[in-house]
Amino acid sequence: MFIDALKSIWLESGFSVLTWQHLVMIAVACVLIYLAIVKKFEPLLLLPIAFGVLLANLPLADLMKKEIGDIQGGLLYYLYLGVKKGIYPSLIFLGIGCMTDFGPLISRPSSLIMGAGAQFGIFMAFIIANLLGFTPQEAASISIIGGADGPTAIYTTARLALDLLGPIAIAAYSYMALIPIIQPPIMRALTTKEEREVKMEQLREVSKLEKICFPIIVTIFCVLLLPSVAPLIGMLMLGNLFKESGVVDRLSDTAQNALMNIVTIFLGVTVGATANAENFLQPQTLAIIALGLLAFMFSTVGGLLIGKLMYKLSGGKINPLIGSAGVSAVPMAARVSQVVGQKANPSNYLLMHAMGPNVAGVIGSAVAAGILMALFG
Amino acid sequence: MHMTFGESLLVSLFSMFIVFVVLVSILVLIQLFSKLLALGSTQSGSCKPVESEKRVQPAAPAPAAFVPGPELSTGELRLKNVDEKTAAMIMAIVSDESSIPLSELRFKSIKLIEEES
Repeated sequence: MFIDALKSIWLESGFSVLTWQHLVMIAVACVLIYLAIVKKFEPLLLLPIAFGVLLANLPLADLMKKEIGDIQGGLLYYLYLGVKKGIYPSLIFLGIGCMTDFGPLISRPSSLIMGAGAQFGIFMAFIIANLLGFTPQEAASISIIGGADGPTAIYTTARLALDLLGPIAIAAYSYMALIPIIQPPIMRALTTKEEREVKMEQLREVSKLEKICFPIIVTIFCVLLLPSVAPLIGMLMLGNLFKESGVVDRLSDTAQNALMNIVTIFLGVTVGATANAENFLQPQTLAIIALGLLAFMFSTVGGLLIGKLMYKLSGGKINPLIGSAGVSAVPMAARVSQVVGQKANPSNYLLMHAMGPNVAGVIGSAVAAGILMALFG
Repeated sequence: MHMTFGESLLVSLFSMFIVFVVLVSILVLIQLFSKLLALGSTQSGSCKPVESEKRVQPAAPAPAAFVPGPELSTGELRLKNVDEKTAAMIMAIVSDESSIPLSELRFKSIKLIEEES
């Protein structure tokens, strides 16, 4: 009797159906948790993602089980609908808009060209992914990792290649965390010491009216031109208008703090939960991770090359290092420009100058995603 | 359906071109708008530069703290129940928090608000 009871408990437990694939994924989750807590690699996102990976790979927990008829689905399945329907990435963009100062970009609009150049990696990765046998939809989703913009990558993948969401989201956020390691060698290799030492002129002050009109103008222009980009650009600019208008401080505060934190939890856990053993432990995951790295590197190269071109055209007044910040990843990429610039010239302060290409990169990667969704959606 | 190398190259070049066109268009729009604003402020007879956001933001203490009085030029600061050292500290903090150099700020008065018992 007692043995039968024990046997029954064992058979109904997850341990009885645990496979080596589950164990590998649990180990992956533990490594990600370690990186988030100990190494502090994008912990706000990596920790919920890692825990989502862990939850999804505990057999029989069925947290991602679909709702079928009257049978209830798992908790994460319902939360995941926000990812699937593109709600969370758009809400994250609302919060980012509230936190973003487009002043440096308005002050030096030529930063937009660097932001455009830094999308180069997306399209290089797109070509290579196609050569490797991915479908155009999958290639587009993988390549958007090069935009260094997590919400955009998730939004595009949810629209074009939902099955690849787990590996793409994990690759995108991991590389964003690794920007201080990935970018500096490329920046030093592509610039001379003389270029890195350039001290840039102070930015002009931007009027409040300019800052208020900017999100309105960009929304009207971008959404009319590329309607597919409306959820991302629309929310980004709405958030920015909340901030700049100065009349809805409560909304701005909620969007950039409470709402952003809530959505980050839902997004992180559910994206992590898509990385189950069956989907994740595939040869294509390695290809996605490699392509993501290539996309990041080529985007950095693209931004730097445009930066070098602008250095020449401006007669040496623009430091090409700020071009690498065009890969989005606000504000980390701008901080990397600052650090590398200051190593070449300790009295150099490039942070505010790099914020221009940095926020231009956010718009650039959203536009690139909009084009790919319009072509392959 | 898979794409050939030629097709994916074409798509990439086309997409990259569109990204540049969109961002360069935004650049042109920003420049046009900034010029229009500058023109507008010149035509309205004001020779002052465009009012900056920093100036619009409440850089000084809340209006309730101001004592109504005649316009005072920089340097004529009215202190009420505040010693000079504290006043200097307050001005330095306001300058630091608002990122406006002290030379560009004008304080009319600094007064101690008595707490209601």
